[in-house]
Amino acid sequence: MSEGHPRYDVVIGLEVHAQLCTESKLFSPAPVAYGEPANHCVHPICLGLPGVLPVLNARAVEFAILAGLATHCTVQLHSVFARKNYFYPDLPKGYQISQYEEPICTEGWIDVVVEPGAAPRRIRLTRIHMEEDAGKLIHEAGAAGSDGTRVDLNRAGVPLLEIVSEPDLRSPSEAAAYLRTLRGILRYIGVSDADLEKGHFRCDANVSLKPRGTAELGTRTELKNLNSFRFVEEAISAEIARQAELHDEGTPVQQATMAYDPHTSRTRVLRLKENADDYRYFPDPDLVPLAISAEQIETARASLPELADAKCARFQSQYALTAQDAEQLTESRPLADYFEAAVAAYGLAKPVANWLLRDVLQALGELELGIEAARLAPESLAALIRLVDAGSTNAKSARGLVKELVANGGDPAALVHERGLEALSDSGELEAAVEAVLGEHPDDAEKFRAGEKKVLNFLMGQVMRRTAGKADPKAVRELLARKLGA
Amino acid sequence: MSAPPPLVGLSELRAELDAGRTSSAQLVDRALERAEALQPRLRSFIGLRGESARAEAEQADARRLRGDPRSALDGIPVAIKDNMVQRGEPTTCGSRILEGFVSPYSSTLVEKLEAAGAVIIGRTNMDEFAMGSSTEHSTLGASSNPWDVSRTAGGSSGGSAVAVAAGIVPAAFGSDTGGSIRQPASFCGVVGMKPTYGRVSRWGLVAFASSLDQIGVFARDARDAALLLELISGHDPRDSTSAPEPAPDLRASLDGDVSGLVLGVPREYFVSDGVDPEVLARVHAAIAELEAAGAKLREVSLPHTYTAVATYYLLATAEASSNLARYDGVRYGRRAEGAQSLGDMYVRSRTEGFGAEVKRRILLGTYVLSAGYYDAYYRKAQQVRTLLRRDFDEAFAGCDVIVTPTSPEVAFSLGSRTEDPLRMYLSDVYTVSCNLAGLPGVSLPCGFSDGMPVGLQLLGPPLEEGRLLRVADAFQRRTGFHSERPPELA
Repeated sequence: MSEGHPRYDVVIGLEVHAQLCTESKLFSPAPVAYGEPANHCVHPICLGLPGVLPVLNARAVEFAILAGLATHCTVQLHSVFARKNYFYPDLPKGYQISQYEEPICTEGWIDVVVEPGAAPRRIRLTRIHMEEDAGKLIHEAGAAGSDGTRVDLNRAGVPLLEIVSEPDLRSPSEAAAYLRTLRGILRYIGVSDADLEKGHFRCDANVSLKPRGTAELGTRTELKNLNSFRFVEEAISAEIARQAELHDEGTPVQQATMAYDPHTSRTRVLRLKENADDYRYFPDPDLVPLAISAEQIETARASLPELADAKCARFQSQYALTAQDAEQLTESRPLADYFEAAVAAYGLAKPVANWLLRDVLQALGELELGIEAARLAPESLAALIRLVDAGSTNAKSARGLVKELVANGGDPAALVHERGLEALSDSGELEAAVEAVLGEHPDDAEKFRAGEKKVLNFLMGQVMRRTAGKADPKAVRELLARKLGA
Repeated sequence: MSAPPPLVGLSELRAELDAGRTSSAQLVDRALERAEALQPRLRSFIGLRGESARAEAEQADARRLRGDPRSALDGIPVAIKDNMVQRGEPTTCGSRILEGFVSPYSSTLVEKLEAAGAVIIGRTNMDEFAMGSSTEHSTLGASSNPWDVSRTAGGSSGGSAVAVAAGIVPAAFGSDTGGSIRQPASFCGVVGMKPTYGRVSRWGLVAFASSLDQIGVFARDARDAALLLELISGHDPRDSTSAPEPAPDLRASLDGDVSGLVLGVPREYFVSDGVDPEVLARVHAAIAELEAAGAKLREVSLPHTYTAVATYYLLATAEASSNLARYDGVRYGRRAEGAQSLGDMYVRSRTEGFGAEVKRRILLGTYVLSAGYYDAYYRKAQQVRTLLRRDFDEAFAGCDVIVTPTSPEVAFSLGSRTEDPLRMYLSDVYTVSCNLAGLPGVSLPCGFSDGMPVGLQLLGPPLEEGRLLRVADAFQRRTGFHSERPPELA
C-alpha cells in the first residue's frame, strides 16, 4: 500500500484512455483488431486519403452513453466533435477527431474501495469524451526508409473514451484503486475489454504537492503512458518523492510531461510545458453535432447491468458471504455470473464460494485462463461438490480433478469413476483396511481404549494411506470408532 | 492540329445518338481531339483519359445497340474537376504536392456518373486546392477564356467552365466553395449551378473548406443543368453533412412559367461602388425580361452583406489550414528529398509542394484558429455567419428568388490581379454569401459587356434548386444569350 506524503498533501488527477470494443473504428468501417499484420485493418478514411469523410460509429456512441450512466455522469443531448491539429506521422489527417468544448458526458463520480471493508472514497469525474486513436510508429534499425521508422495505421481511428477525473485522489494506492474500479465498471457494462497489455486501458496522471493543510495547489506534472497498475503506483510514488525533494529544497516544480523508468524507479522530464501546445481545436465541419435523445439515454439506462458495488452488497446480504468473498466474486461480471449459476445448481452459496475462490480460481491461474474460458460448467461444479457431500468421493480427490475439469470439461462423476477415485465408505474394502490397520497396531488400539483419544488421528492416517487417499475421512473415523468400541 | 466541331447540348447529342447518326465512340473521340487541339490555347484539362474513355464509349455503344442504355447521359462525354477522385486515376488538385497520387477509390460523384454510363474524358484545370478565382494558381498554368484568350476563365473551376464553353464536352462538374462554379460560368458564358449544401455528396471531393464546399454542374442551359443535377443529387450515408433528401425531380419544374413569382432584388448588391456599370445594366435588363415574363419584383435587404467576404475568408482559411494538414509527404504525394529530420521533411515537402496562394491561406487559417485569436476571428465569424443566414431567411420571407450579378465585372486580363490578392478576394462579394448560408445558386449568361459574357445570379432558399432552374429556363426560353458561341472557336 503506497501512501501519500507525511508533510505534503498529494493531489492526483487521472486521465484514462479506454478502447471501446466495437467491431469497426470510430469514423471508418475498418475493423478493430489486435495483432494483425501492419496496415491490414485500414480503409481510405483511416489513411487520411484525399476526399474521405468521417462517419460516426453509432455503437461507439451507445457505449459512451453506457459509460457515462455507469459513472453517474450527465449525458449531454448535444455534443460536438472537434479537430485537434498537430503533425505526427502516426496521425494521418494531421488532426485527431476528439471532443473539446462540448463532450458527450460531464460531471460524474465513482465510489472507490481503497481498503477492503473500509468505506469507499467518492472520486468525481470531470468528463468523458470520445476520440479516435492514432497509429503506431515502429522503429526498426536497418529497415527501409531513411531512419528505419515505419508507420502502422491499424490502430489509427480506433474508438477511445477519455475519462478525466477531478484531482480528488490523494495517494498512489488510491489512484490504483480508482483505476481498478473504473476498469471493472467498463468491463461490467461491456464497453471495453480494458486489457492493459493490449493497450486498451492507458493512463496519464497529473500529480502535484502542496504543504499539508494549505489551500493553493502546487504546480503539477503529467506522467504519461502508465500501462500497468503497478507502474501507476510506482510512478506516482516516485514523482511524489521527486516533487517533495524540490519542495524541501525550495526549488519550484516546473510544469512538465514526465516519463517513468521502471528500471531506475525514477521519473524524468520528457519535455517542459513552458510554451503550451496550441492544438487549434475547432468543431469538425465534416461532422454534424452529435444529438442524443432522452429516449436513447433511457434505453441505455434500462440496459445497464447491475454494477460491481451493487452486486457486492447484494451477494453479502443474499448469500451471507463475507465482504472479502463478495468483493472477490464480483470483481468481474463473468465470475459473478458463474457463481450465481453454480449456486442456482447447487442450492447453497458458501460451499460454492469456497470451491470457486479456492480451487477453480487456482486452476484458472495455473492454466492462465479467464473464467469465461473454463470448460467446467457451473452446473458441473455443483455436481462435483455434491459427489463429495454424498461421500461418493472425498474432497481431496475432487479437488485434484478441478484443474482437469476446468481445462477439458467432462462429467465429474464419470471422471471420478474413470480415475477410480470413488470413496471406499460403502465397500467392504474400507472395513478390511480398518481391520488390517488395527491388526498391525494393537498397541495403539489399546492406548485409544485406555483414553488416549488422539491416537485416532494416527490410525486414521494409516487407513488413508492404505486406501491411497480414496477413503472418505468421515467414514473412516466413524468405522474406527465403532471398531474400537468408542 | 485543327479542332473538330464543338459538341452541342445534351439533348441534341442524345437525339443524335438515339437516331443512330453518331456513336458514343465518335462523340468521345471528338471531345478528346477537341480538348487536345484547344489545350495550347485554353489549358482546360490537367489530364485526359483517352484510352479508358474510348473503351467506355464502346461499351456505351454496345448498351445502346442492345437497347439497354443506363440513362440519358449514357455514352455522353463529360469532364470532372481535378479534385474529384476516380479509382485508378490521378488526382492532383492542381498541386505539386499530390504528384504521383492515384486514388484507390472513387468519389460518389464519379460512381453516379459511371452508373449513368457517362464517359469521363478527363480532369479539368483548377486553382490549387480550389483556392483562387482565376486558375492562375494551378501548376498547369492558367486556363484561358474562350471568348478572349488573354483573359481569365475565372476560377477555381475554370477548366470545367472552359470545357463546356468551348464545346469540348456538353457537361462538366466543378466545386463551389465561395463562387468557384458560378464565377467561371459567368466569365465563360455558360450555366453554372451550385446546389444547396448537402445536396450532392462530398465523398471523394478533396476538401478545401468542408462547411462551404459543394459539387455542382456546368451546362449549356438550365434544362441540361437540371438533368445533370438530378443525376448527381441525393443522400449519401458516407457524407455526414449530406441532406437526407432524395434526388429532386427538377425537369418537372421547367415549364417556362414564372408568373407571380417574386424576385427579390437585394439593395446591398446593386450599389454602383466597385461594380462595372455595364454589368449592372445587363443584369437590370435581365430582371426586366423576367418581369415581362410575369415575375414580380421586390426590393429586399441583406444587411450583413458587407461582412460576407471577411467572414468567408476567416472560415474558409481556418478549415483549409486543417484540411490540408494531411499533405505531409508521409503516406502519398510528394515527399521532399534530403530531409534531415521529421520536421525538416514536413517543412520541405510542404514548402516545395504548395504554391503561394495555398501557403497564404494555410497561414491565415492557422492564425485564425490559434489560441488567443480564436474568439476574435473564428468564433466571431461563425456568429456573423448565423447573421448572414438570418438575412436570407428574412429576405426569402418576402420573395421566392433573389437576383444579383454573379460577379462585379466581366473576365479580367490574366496576370492583372496576381499581385493583389485582396482585390481578388473582394471580387467574390456576390458569391460567398450563398456558400456561407448553404443556399443553392445558379449563374446564367445574360448578355455581354466589352464582348465578354455577363452572368446573372439567382439564389434560392435551401433545396429550391427547381425554383431557380425554372426561372433560368424561362429566361432562356425568351433570350438567346446561352446559345452564343465564342467567335474565335466557332
